[in-house]
Amino acid sequence: MKAATWQRLRQLTQVLVLGLFIFLFTQSVYLVQSSPLGDLFYRLDPLVAVTAMLAGRLIIPTLALAIGTVFVTLVFGRVWCGWFCPLGTILEWTSPHKKKITIKVSEPSPTWRKMKFFLLMATLALAVLGNQTLIFLDPNTILTRTMAGAIWPALRYGTFSLENFLFQFKLLWPILDAIHAVLIVPLFHNIQSVFIAAFPIFLFFLGLIALNWSAERFWCRYLCPLGGLLGWLSRYSLLRREVHQPCKQCGLCSAQCPTGTIDPRNGYCSDSAECIVCTDCVKSCNQGDVSFRWQLPHWKPAEKHSYDPSRRDALVTIAAAITGATLAGIEPIARRSPEHLIRPPGATLTDFESLCIRCGECVRVCPTQGLQPSLVESGWENLMTPHLMARLGYCVYNCSACIQSCPSSAIPKITLEEKHAAPMGLASINRDRCLPWAYNTSCIVCEEMCPLPDKAVVLEQGEGQGLGQVGNASLLKPHVIREKCIGCGVCEFHCPVGGDAAIQVYSLPDNKPPLSGI
Amino acid sequence: MTIRKLISRREFICWLGMAGAGAALIACAKNDLPTPVLSNSTQTSLPVASTLSPTQTDGSVGKTYLAVARGESPAELTRRVVEALGGMQRFVNTGNDVIIKPNMCTDNHTFEFAATTNPEVVAELVRQCLSAGARRVRVMDAPFGGSPESAYRKSGIADAVTAAGGQMEVMNPAKYAETPIPQGVDIKKWWVYQEVLNADVLINVPIAKHHGEAGLTLGCKNLMGTLQRRNLIHENLHQRIADITSLVRPDLTVVDAYRILTRNGPTGGNLNDVKLTKTIIASQDIVAADAYACTLFGKTAADIGYIKLASRMGIGTDDLSSIKIEELAV
Repeated sequence: MKAATWQRLRQLTQVLVLGLFIFLFTQSVYLVQSSPLGDLFYRLDPLVAVTAMLAGRLIIPTLALAIGTVFVTLVFGRVWCGWFCPLGTILEWTSPHKKKITIKVSEPSPTWRKMKFFLLMATLALAVLGNQTLIFLDPNTILTRTMAGAIWPALRYGTFSLENFLFQFKLLWPILDAIHAVLIVPLFHNIQSVFIAAFPIFLFFLGLIALNWSAERFWCRYLCPLGGLLGWLSRYSLLRREVHQPCKQCGLCSAQCPTGTIDPRNGYCSDSAECIVCTDCVKSCNQGDVSFRWQLPHWKPAEKHSYDPSRRDALVTIAAAITGATLAGIEPIARRSPEHLIRPPGATLTDFESLCIRCGECVRVCPTQGLQPSLVESGWENLMTPHLMARLGYCVYNCSACIQSCPSSAIPKITLEEKHAAPMGLASINRDRCLPWAYNTSCIVCEEMCPLPDKAVVLEQGEGQGLGQVGNASLLKPHVIREKCIGCGVCEFHCPVGGDAAIQVYSLPDNKPPLSGI
Repeated sequence: MTIRKLISRREFICWLGMAGAGAALIACAKNDLPTPVLSNSTQTSLPVASTLSPTQTDGSVGKTYLAVARGESPAELTRRVVEALGGMQRFVNTGNDVIIKPNMCTDNHTFEFAATTNPEVVAELVRQCLSAGARRVRVMDAPFGGSPESAYRKSGIADAVTAAGGQMEVMNPAKYAETPIPQGVDIKKWWVYQEVLNADVLINVPIAKHHGEAGLTLGCKNLMGTLQRRNLIHENLHQRIADITSLVRPDLTVVDAYRILTRNGPTGGNLNDVKLTKTIIASQDIVAADAYACTLFGKTAADIGYIKLASRMGIGTDDLSSIKIEELAV
């Protein structure tokens, strides 16, 4: 095949894979029956597989597909980055194109390439210590989280706002109804969501794109820990780029290379750990002196480069990881759970923080969008882990979307019956704000909403009549039955009191051993 | 690859401006329509969409005012009560756009738990509307637990309605509007689903069940499903339900009392709380239908605030002795 065909094939693959990502993102949801492929990109991600199993001390069979990615990388090199990675594709498309032949002096020094290996080693070292904080830098988690917690809800908000405006004109209803049914519902599912961390999540993503102006695919070259892992494997790959003599030293290939690994000072050779097999260089070479060749039968690992981490680098990184882990150990969450830290259903049954890969799949599928990626509510070490904010969205009694979608089993694969028997939190009524208790005004919304067959919120006959009540009915006052409440938060969500609800779900009693002290 | 310029920025903005101007023109056309006069009397001049006003029927003579059927098959009972009222063609004319509003409050349980309307009853009504010549029959509700799609599915109503030739509509948040309630005592306006007001025929199909504050959830209470900001209704529940009933007037109310929920309503979930009463009640008068349904729980209309208030406001009658009731054993 000609170089141009390979290039086209790669671009087509990128489009298809990103399309698949968006398709699964919008279509593999609870409302239209979950597709078993919803977590495909996590099943293929070897970094997630290794850290989740290390940190969670658990064999997670669903992540075994990642072996396939390792195998492909050992054969073809970092094709994941150049051909498949959805975030990589977005970063490639948003790069300003460099067509001129220059030696790129503005780029960071190659030493910066160490950074991704540092991040990789730190992520792995922390995982050994039972911590997955840094996995929030995995490219798949970044993209899901950004899409689920910022981009998609914002698009949805914009679309619905426009719709709301247009629906003022009844003449347009027939057209709008058709558009709504055919286009908007399949994409946005009649959900209206709000997210506490939309700005930070989006700004982080924007930052990754902005770095392209310093160097093309800055993230992939210097930072991506998954890229680091696949790059390290690619040192041993069977397919590698080769330069043949007579090379004219024209510099066209190095000007094109999106990862800047073609070194003009070294005979335009490249590092297979950095090369993403995009084949742009093959196309750019009008002599036909560049090609990708099988390394058999004279296979040997790629040569070392100045930026490959040394043993000392590894030791320093491990020391840094241990420092980080000890600092995380003295965060307040080690002594007390924050009062409103409600984890997804079933999370109390597992070592949730250790298993959670911060990917945002549960956030994506939650039909009420009550699951939110946290900032530092549960400590810095649990950045971007999900928690339920019942005032923004409750846990639907018969929904198991997050249970089905969790790729790492941090939310265990429990049945609905088991879910109903595993409380997430405990509701508590604030009698200083509750309408019947504080204002003698009748209201029973929390009792009405309680989904339990034997309601956990019960009504007690109060003395006298409530304001505005008719007939001989007396004022009813709600109580929570502690033994029955499962903490789903539907009462908090629907409570008509302004601002904070008069009934709120609080964290369950801690079952972790507290730090010793007086 | 070179990108050929299909349209210049200037042209694009020009097109955008023209489209905007077009939209603005449409908007002006709409605004020039005469605004409905609402203020000068207690009588509603809103498009209540009723071909016959339920309140203006003299119940004591002539046609059956309220029909009750008892028997084994919910569909058959439904057919018989509608027949007793004069058949569906009395309510639905050829080419009419019909909305049926059952109770699908949550996706927690199937209909056997008596928290949602019996699908056979809804499907039978869909079939009758279509054979009476309805152009389109839509079925909708706005659940407070779970998504509309999941509640429609779980209740069994989605499958039954689709098989009967009706359409399930997920209520679109953009189609609610703040609507004046001319007869309202406590609330003078609320956010109401406009399609329900615009439809030619509205059929209300509540299930009779227990409710913590309202006492019972029946026809009038079921209309809360057409509103937004429902949690605010509870502050003065009975009067506000009556006020809403004065605005959203169903042409026909069919109370599904085949199974009734006697405790832990409105959500239910315990089969021990369900009583098999095998009764279907229908009337063009929502208040009378509710008043009759109370008796199945051993109560009277006087026990349920919103029925009493609705009757006092003249929306219908809660005096069962003054109307012609036809009781059928099927």
